[in-house]
Parts: sequence; structure tokens; C-alpha cells
Amino acid sequence: MPKAKFIIAILALSLIGIGWMVIGFETEEVPFISVSDLIEHHESYTQEKFRLGGNVLDGSIKYSEDKLDLFFELKQGEATLSVKHHSAAVPDLFKDGTQVIVEGVYKNGVFEADNLMTKCASRYEEESNYESKGSQTI
Amino acid sequence: MISIFGSSLISLALLLTITSLGLNLWYLRSKDSRIYFAGRNAMISACLLTFSAGGTLVYALYNSDLSLTYVNKYSSIFTPTIYKISGFWAGMEGSLLFWVFILSIYAIIVLYQNRNKYGSLMPWVTIVIAIVMSFFLFICLAFENPFAPVDGPIKMGSGLNPLLQHWAMLLHPPMLYLGFIGFTIPYAYAIAAMATQQLDASWIRLTRRWSLFTWMLLSIAVVMGGKWAYMELGWGGYWAWDPVENASLFPWLTGTAYIHSVIIQEKKNMLVRWNMILIMLTFTLTIFGTYLTRSGIVSSIHAFAATDLSIWFFGFVMFLVSLNIGLLIYRHKDLNSQNQLDSFASREAGFVFNNMIFVAMMLVVLWGTLYPVMTEALRGVQIRLGPTWFNQKLIPFGLVLLALTGIAPLLAWRKTSINSIKRNFSLPIILSFITGIITFSLGIRKVYPLITIILIGFVLSTILLEFYRGTKARMKSSGENIFNAFISIMDKNRSRYGGYIVHIGILMMFLGFTGKAFDQEADVSLSPEKNKVELAEYTFELKEYWQESPSSHPKKRQNHNAEITSIDIYKNGAFYTNLKPERRIYIDQNSQPHSEVALKTTLNKDIYIILGSLDLKTGMATLKIRLNNLVSWVWLGTLVLIFGTLIPLLPNRKLNE
Repeated sequence: MPKAKFIIAILALSLIGIGWMVIGFETEEVPFISVSDLIEHHESYTQEKFRLGGNVLDGSIKYSEDKLDLFFELKQGEATLSVKHHSAAVPDLFKDGTQVIVEGVYKNGVFEADNLMTKCASRYEEESNYESKGSQTI
Repeated sequence: MISIFGSSLISLALLLTITSLGLNLWYLRSKDSRIYFAGRNAMISACLLTFSAGGTLVYALYNSDLSLTYVNKYSSIFTPTIYKISGFWAGMEGSLLFWVFILSIYAIIVLYQNRNKYGSLMPWVTIVIAIVMSFFLFICLAFENPFAPVDGPIKMGSGLNPLLQHWAMLLHPPMLYLGFIGFTIPYAYAIAAMATQQLDASWIRLTRRWSLFTWMLLSIAVVMGGKWAYMELGWGGYWAWDPVENASLFPWLTGTAYIHSVIIQEKKNMLVRWNMILIMLTFTLTIFGTYLTRSGIVSSIHAFAATDLSIWFFGFVMFLVSLNIGLLIYRHKDLNSQNQLDSFASREAGFVFNNMIFVAMMLVVLWGTLYPVMTEALRGVQIRLGPTWFNQKLIPFGLVLLALTGIAPLLAWRKTSINSIKRNFSLPIILSFITGIITFSLGIRKVYPLITIILIGFVLSTILLEFYRGTKARMKSSGENIFNAFISIMDKNRSRYGGYIVHIGILMMFLGFTGKAFDQEADVSLSPEKNKVELAEYTFELKEYWQESPSSHPKKRQNHNAEITSIDIYKNGAFYTNLKPERRIYIDQNSQPHSEVALKTTLNKDIYIILGSLDLKTGMATLKIRLNNLVSWVWLGTLVLIFGTLIPLLPNRKLNE
């Protein structure tokens, strides 16, 4: 078999592969933005879901009567935001002051998180590392 | 005291590693064998010192020597003994020492195995190992010294995170490291082959067992990480495309490509350059993966703290990349293969496509993992790609790969005739259609699971057909009975039939993956007043709740209090089983709570319950209940994969002929 034919086949397959990679990107994108950015500019983003980081405001944790809905205030810098999360089991490390990451949608001033993550690192490793990253400064 | 002792061991080891590096380089110029032996002895001493440094840390952890910061952070007097020892790899400093600790064991084995052999390759192999080892020893000493003494007054020790107190976490890091670091050896041989221009398949033959063994450990480690996530993180799944998980997958994907493609070089003298690229890529990805997880560059839920370390690590990765590219260019003429592909319908071509897909998958995972870093650099905002993206992009690749698993072994070397295609493929295709029809009639309508199961049917029948044909031919030629004939063909061609068994394991895992599409979940709140809830054909009933403490259960509850609920489960109205999910409060961990999953596993379904909270006064409990389908097949498939890999790894009994 001529080498050229083989190379063409590989190139064609690679192109298909790359094409497959780049289609339908936006819908799965979750921008990691600051709380104040979300409150002020959420309309300017094309994406629906957002990822936010911050601390749980002390004393703000509340539950619905059946304890399945969790409400708390997410504090990042000066900005705070009400977060709602539906789950029977919040992460083990969730409590006042913990650094958390939430993913979800912003509706009428409330952030409805379908994903709530605590930063395990605080116990996996003594000190936190989120401060060191530019766009996710807490 | 122990701090100075441990640090001195590391310093001495570093000194001797560099000495060995120098001596080996000198030997290459002088060709004086005394210098080579001196270099080797220096290396062996460095390894023994590193080994002792590891031993010293374990000793300190075991005795809860709280004068070390590291022991303070990852152990306490309340920590159960076994987890005191696993503190060795629980944290950053210890795990970096653990890295060199394992490399030193490997290095000693290599040096011992080849003490009188391969005179021209060994100096280079030693040099490569010495470079890697001195890098990690340097990092240990300069930035992340596990023997650093406690600053200020000695505290009580904060103990090992309860999340890490699980058997899979005892074994996962060592396995992962054994797997990651194991690739250093084939890589070292590859570089030695490049340096000495011995670019035939001999370096591949020499490292075949290493590669397979390492690949097996890495496979176990990847799955065990999933098992741990499943049992401890409490969200009900085993894979979330977290950067840390992905990091373990990069070298696994290219490593898997490598153990396939070396077969072609051994048999056909093709893909010489490609194999070189693959092993370079795999080794570099192990270092890159370590860098990714240890530096916190992609902020991950379990990223370690960012330190100066990341600059050094990045530098080392860059050094490896330039070394690899430099060598590939410098030796480009020697890397030309003697043979070319003859036809697309050949086994060689099948392997090439297999390799392309593995590498493509690695690139997809890499792209998705680094996407937040890239968007941050280019657009100023970190954008993450969710698990859906990974699944959506990778499932088609996975399915093509699955199909190739069945197709490639049925193709002939060089060129397959139409007749042989008809003969080999008709039965498997018919059987896979029957599988499809059965699955469809069982009510499975989702596209991907349906395709997966059809392909599993196809591949399984091709494999069974291979075993059947091999055994039948053997019975005919040797007159053995079916059992002996089966054993003989396995023994004669261990890598081939071992490979088929590994493929069966992979099929079982794929079956497990399809179950995910049918999982069900409910978040419920139960109390003595409203004590029942239904999910699918199951009814869950809260029976009792109580508390246990270290004073009431000193053996079982050494370091925690536990709130426990007892849940009776009925299936279609009849009593099925009882599960007791519990929530623990670790007293040596600033009262950190931790939910212990309660699990009822069957081949078909896992019932998975997490106790979110329990009010001991009112008896109100919140539970996350999940019905996870076919998960067991992922674990069982891994066992089959291990079994299959062990077949070619077993020592030869020299029975052949």
C-alpha cells in the first residue's frame, strides 16, 4: 500500500476527530466567575450554568422543614448571594465558614445549585489554595 | 532528632545519586569498568538510603512522633495503626518521598537483574533513573521535607482525614505510584536504546514484563480510585472526570496503546518511532500527572496546595519534553521502520487504529482537563467542562475501540482476504444481532447502552471463537483431551490468550458502564411518623436509630461517635434486606462528620444509602438513596483483567516443546 494513501487516511480520521471535539462546546461550558460578576453581568454570558466559589457566611445555614432543602449565603469578598441546594446529604465538610464551590443556575436573585462541593483540601491538606488562583479569589 | 536523621538520609541519598550520575557519565567516556561498578554501587547505596528514609518516616508515623510537622498533620495517637502507616502517602511531603522510595526499590531490582548483562545499555538506564531520582529527592529536601520539625509547641496531632480511612485509600496510592513510577524503567531503557543506537526491538523485549506489570498496577489503581470515590465521597458514582482522576488516566491511555503497539514492533519490525514516542509520552505524562495533582494548577476538589514546587515540576516536565523531542530528531534516521502497512484490512492496521484512538482519547481528556487553564489564559475566565462533556465526547471513541477489540484479532497479518473475513466475521455478527434483539426485547431503548451491549456480544463471540478454534486445532494435532488442549494453547501463546482474557475483563467493565444510564436516585426525609418511601420496586422503612460512642464500643469506635439508622428494605412488598447507614463524628478531627455508605451489592444492582443527617430527638433522618445498576461488573471486570495480565507475567516453566 502506498504510504500516501495511509497518511491521507490518518489525516482524514484526525480531522473527523478534531471536528467531533469542537462541535457543541458551549452548551457544556461552565464559567467559573466571581459572585459579584454573576450578580452584575450574568446576562452578558451565553452559558446557563455557572461555577462560583466562596465561603459559607457564618450563621447563614438553614434547612427546610424536611431538611432536604439547604439554604445559605455565599460570601466572596464584599458580595453575598443566596444559594439553594436540594439534597439529603450535604458534603461531610460543609459548615459555617467552609470554602465551597457551587454549580448551578441563577434565578431571580437566588443561585440554585445542583452541585455543592466543599474544598476537601482544607483537610486533605492543612491550608487552602484557592486564594492563589486569579479568577477564583475568595 | 528524627528530623535531622531523616533529612540527612535524604541529603546523602541525593548526593550519592548525583555521584552515580557523574560516575556513569565518566564511564561512558573512560570505558573503565571500575568506574561503572563504582557508579552502580553509589546508585545502590542511594537507593538503600532512600529506602531507609521511607522506613524512618513510617517509624515516626507508627510511633506518633509528634515532633515532626508531617506526623502532626496526618496522624494522631487516636488514629488506628494501619492508617498511621498509610499517612506515609496521605500528604504532599510524604507522598513525594514515597515516590522516590518506590523508584529506589525498582532501581535496585533493575540493577540486580542486569548485574552481568547488557553492559552497553545499563549505564544509560542508570543515568535516566538517577536523573529522575535526584529530581524527586531534591524536591523532598528543598520544598517538601517530610522530616521538617514542628514549629513551636508540640500539638496533639490532627489525625488522618476520615475520608482517607478506607481500605481502597490504603491501597490506591501505592498502586498508582507503583504504576506511574514503573514506567520509568521502560522509559530508561528506551532512552538507553536511543543513546546507544540499539533501536531494534530488544529494548522492548527487555522491558516487556515491566511494562505489562506496571500497566496492570496502574489499571488496578485507576479502578481502585473509583472504588474509593464510590464508597467514601458519597455522591453515588465512581468517576466524575475530576482532574485528579484524569491525571491517572493519561498515562493509562497511552500506556495501553504502548502495550498493544509493541507487539507490532516485535513481530513485524514496524512502528519503531511510534513506540518510542508512546513510551516517552507515557512516562512524561506520569510526571505531568503528578505535577497536575500536586501543584493545584487545575483547581480540583482534591488538589493539594500550590507551592514553589509547581515551577520546579513544570521545569522538569519541560526538560523531559525537550529531551524527548531532541532525541527523536537526533535519531530520526535510525527510527525508520523496515516494513510498511500492506492493507487497511490487516491486523497491523487494526493495531494502528487502536493506537490512534487511545491517543485521541488521551488528547480529549487532556483538552477537557486543561480547558479551564487555557480559557483562563486566553479569555481571562476559567471555564470548566462538565462530566457530560467528557462522556459525550469519549463514548463514541470508546465504542469504536470496543468494536476494534473484536475486529483486529480476526484480521490476518499483512492482508485479509474477503473469504477469511466472511468466515471469521459471520458468526460473531449473527450472535451480536441476537444479543441486540434480546436486549431490545428486555426493554432497553437507550442508544448507547444498546450499541454497547451489541458490541459486547460481538467481541465476546469473537474471543470465544478464538479459544474454540485454538483448542480444536490442538486436540486434532496432539490428540489431547479438551481440557489439556485448552491449557496447552494458553501456555504456548500466553500473551495472546492472556490478552483475550484481559479483553473479556474490559467487556465486563463496559457492561458496568452501561448501567449508569439507568441509575435512579431519591433524596428523602424519614421520621417515625412518616417512615416509608418507595423507589422503583423497593420500599425503604426506617426501623430504628441510635448512637454509639468510643465508651460504648471501644474497639469498633476507637476515634469516632456514630449515629446509626436501621433501614428495612422490601422488594415488591417482600422483605429483602436491612441496611444501616451511619454518620460518624471523628473526635480526633475537630468533630468532622463523615457519612458511611450502606451498600447492598448484587450483580444486577447496588442499593446505596447515605445518611445525611439524623436528629436523635425526633428521629428524623435524611437519606440519599440510589439504585446503581451493574456497578459490580466494573469491579469484577478488573479482577478478570488482572487475571488475564498475570498469565503472560507468570514465570516460564520451559515446558514448550
